[in-house]
Amino acid sequence: MSNENNRFTELCAGHVLNALSEIDEQEFQRLLSQADAEQLQLLDEMRTAASELATLTSGETPSPTVKQKIMQVAKESASKKSSYATIYKMTWYRLAAAAAVLFVFTSIGLVMYSTGLQEEVQNKETLISQQQSTIERLETEVQRKEELLTILEARNVDLVMMDGLAEMSPNGYGKVVWDKKGGNALLQVANIPSVPIDKDYQLWFIVNGQPISAGVFAVDDPESDNFFKIEQLQSSADEGAFAITMEPKGGVPQPTGDMYLLGNM
Amino acid sequence: MLFFILTTIGKFLTKDEERDRALIARIKARDASALSELYDNYNRLLFGLILSILKKREEAEDTLQEVFTKIWEKAEQFDLERGTVYTWIVSLTRNKSIDRLRSKVYKEQKKQSTSLDDEDVFHPLYSDESDPLENTILTERAKIVRDALNKISEKQRKVLQVAYFNGMSQSEISEEFDIPLGTVKTRMRDGMMKLREFLAQDIEL
Repeated sequence: MSNENNRFTELCAGHVLNALSEIDEQEFQRLLSQADAEQLQLLDEMRTAASELATLTSGETPSPTVKQKIMQVAKESASKKSSYATIYKMTWYRLAAAAAVLFVFTSIGLVMYSTGLQEEVQNKETLISQQQSTIERLETEVQRKEELLTILEARNVDLVMMDGLAEMSPNGYGKVVWDKKGGNALLQVANIPSVPIDKDYQLWFIVNGQPISAGVFAVDDPESDNFFKIEQLQSSADEGAFAITMEPKGGVPQPTGDMYLLGNM
Repeated sequence: MLFFILTTIGKFLTKDEERDRALIARIKARDASALSELYDNYNRLLFGLILSILKKREEAEDTLQEVFTKIWEKAEQFDLERGTVYTWIVSLTRNKSIDRLRSKVYKEQKKQSTSLDDEDVFHPLYSDESDPLENTILTERAKIVRDALNKISEKQRKVLQVAYFNGMSQSEISEEFDIPLGTVKTRMRDGMMKLREFLAQDIEL
């Protein structure tokens, strides 16, 4: 055994019995900080052996108040700990649970938000579709008006006024603006009855007693003025008449139905 | 050799150590009833040990309370790899007792108290009672320790006894018994080495 090892053993014996002077204890702690495994084992063995000496003590019974005081301190400490326990540490499973709850609520929120967005999108699409239809209708209307205006702008037109027949449409009103050069005409009618689903009005140009079909049309709103463009109304006749009869849907080669309007050139 | 001490002494220790480790685990989990059980198991042994060092019941009871409060608060520090619960508790108890014995306040009280001087006698080491600790396992272990001590020379044994049970330092033993300090250190070292050796041998038997 080396001198240093011998010194360690001597100090170790005094240390486990708490018998070293302050200076010797400091020296032991210094040696202990550099101790090898064998020396550390020696310390453990000596400490174990020394603690066995305590079994030789004759048991003495302390006052019951000692235990009462100890238990009071322990219980107060435990209750403090339990009150602190409301501040939970974010262990992995608590973190996972919190994340799961957050995920569920976020998902529900997103679903609700998404549903709301879908409804709003659908409403907007319906509105856009309606507006698109309106635009198309207006564009068609504008185009039709432009076409009618083109006829009215023609410098040489014939104007033929038609009156309602007393039996079918006593208040009926009709007007034909005919651009002979262009072969187009504008028909304006008012105060004649709406046509049934299986019927159409048919415009006839009567020249030399022979009716020539100039086209069919339907009237949905009898109270308002209704305008129609008549195409390919080619004729060089200076005299004749226009008449409107109600015929089967799509028109017929020769007039068969009742006459509603009639006017001479 | 610790392996032999721990494994062979385990014949006696295992049952108590398993119980003690379970109690420490519950104490770490802030189970006050476990502290109560631990107190019931060791209060008489530890109080006897403290009393042998401090001599005054009131001081000994304060120290005992301090020890168990420390166990409650510092159970986390108990290292399962470094020894038994018993060794930890006894070492803690002796450290607390020696700290108080050597405190300035205690020394001052001792100077002013003549009764303390009267009581300042060697604590009876061997009890004649058949089971003073009311614990069969501890009593068996006490017998083994007693037999081991009987194999050590009387001079070495006395140094160990006064150091352990009276809490005397090497220099105090030197002065008290008029023995050169170097001799006290040598007797203490040789005594502890033999106790360690005989304890293991006796337990192996």
